[in-house]
Amino acid sequence: MKLIKKQIPLAIVFITGVLTLISYYVPHKVSVDYIETMNKWENIVVAFAFLLGLISLFFSHYHKITRKADGWGYSIFVFIGFLAMVVPSYTSHGKQMVDGMLTPLGWSYKYIYTALSGTMFAVLAFYIVSTAYRSFRIKSAQAFVLFVAAFILILGKVPLGQIIWDYALGWTGQGVSAVIEWIMQVPAVAGKRGIMIGISIGAIVTSLKIIFGIEKQYMGKD
Amino acid sequence: MKETLQKFFKIDRRWIFLLLAVTLFVPIVKPIGLPNKSISQATTRVYENIEKLPAGSFLLLSLDYDPSTRPELHPMAMALVRHAFSRNLRVGVVTYIAGSTGLIEELFAKVGKEYNKKDGTDYVILPYQPNILAVMTQMSSDMYGIYSKDRNGTPIAGMPVLKGVKSYKDMSLVVCVTGTAILDYWVAYVGDKYSVPVAGGVTAISQPGYGPYLQTNQLKGLIGGMKGAAEYESLIKQPGKGTSGIDALNLAHLLVLVLILTSNIILLFVKYF
Repeated sequence: MKLIKKQIPLAIVFITGVLTLISYYVPHKVSVDYIETMNKWENIVVAFAFLLGLISLFFSHYHKITRKADGWGYSIFVFIGFLAMVVPSYTSHGKQMVDGMLTPLGWSYKYIYTALSGTMFAVLAFYIVSTAYRSFRIKSAQAFVLFVAAFILILGKVPLGQIIWDYALGWTGQGVSAVIEWIMQVPAVAGKRGIMIGISIGAIVTSLKIIFGIEKQYMGKD
Repeated sequence: MKETLQKFFKIDRRWIFLLLAVTLFVPIVKPIGLPNKSISQATTRVYENIEKLPAGSFLLLSLDYDPSTRPELHPMAMALVRHAFSRNLRVGVVTYIAGSTGLIEELFAKVGKEYNKKDGTDYVILPYQPNILAVMTQMSSDMYGIYSKDRNGTPIAGMPVLKGVKSYKDMSLVVCVTGTAILDYWVAYVGDKYSVPVAGGVTAISQPGYGPYLQTNQLKGLIGGMKGAAEYESLIKQPGKGTSGIDALNLAHLLVLVLILTSNIILLFVKYF
């Protein structure tokens, strides 16, 4: 049992991991063919993952409805939303436009999906503005630096802000664009580079731990 | 006095929502039309990279945004396609975001008509693919191994638009317009590895994160947010939604600044007076 549940999966991960890693650096036909095969397999696995995700989503919301759990009414919309997009998709054979005219799928996309998605995202703007007023308090030196940087960036990102800057601080001889360029090129890049290097080292270490069987959480607890 | 001022901190947030709604509504209904005072270097670099391509070159667009980021990204995608068509470039489109397919369809129906460009001859829209890395890697050796048909099910082999195009080495430039991290993948897995020039268009919020790539020239240029879209529209001399949307952005940005300043001035007053 241990062989099937532990040793064989670990061996598959090790062999596949090492071969894929080597293929990245070896531009030989064999490695290219190997990568192409793996790509096709990966796409098949992804398709099954989609299906699994969908079934899991349906079961989760179905149980919420049958148990009348908190907010069960919203779960009904999961099914309504699914049908509102999938049924037109089948009737339109996946096409959104035919001869410049919207198909039922194109209609659902434009008038249901686009409208809902846009609305959800637009709501964020209201919360951001409200939070900016209620929570952005300059109580420390760090908060002050953050405020100054944010102030310059917000001001310089719009033409009206540039006009205000020129009017109020034009005497300094520095345009807001030049100041923004410096913020973006020096402190922002330095910070971002540090984060990127940190994330990359972490990703390499985690990948190696998985390949060499040190990290095994993905296999479950059994 | 202090009590009165402190009441401002506890103001019902719906008043702020209303203030923002009015601030955004006015310029949308009646645009002010403020001129774009400066064009950033990063946007100009994207423009110049497309401008220098000879007619007939193949431009690959990776349009990976859905309706949630449409106001910022759709105008820049539209400006890029207009620029490419005006330069008589061949355009291929890929996407890794399922929600972007309708926007791509809409874009090419509109701009294709403006320039009298034909599907399959001047441009090709490839179907959505979920597995980014597999597709990117496969396209380095043979794109037909992963894309055999376009989004309508028409076989792509033999299409005039793809004549002589098999892998990245046959493409002159890749431009990714996205509100996600897909641009990072294009840089790391395609641009760096296969020496393909990669440029991008991203939302304003993610723009600062691409500074390191721009400095090292791993990214040949970057269009950032609605301002970037407006800048690109200025460069191609075709004002569109980016230019008109910048008015609403103007006032919304200033409102945020005014609110932050107001709340902090009140805080100072409450604390020291």
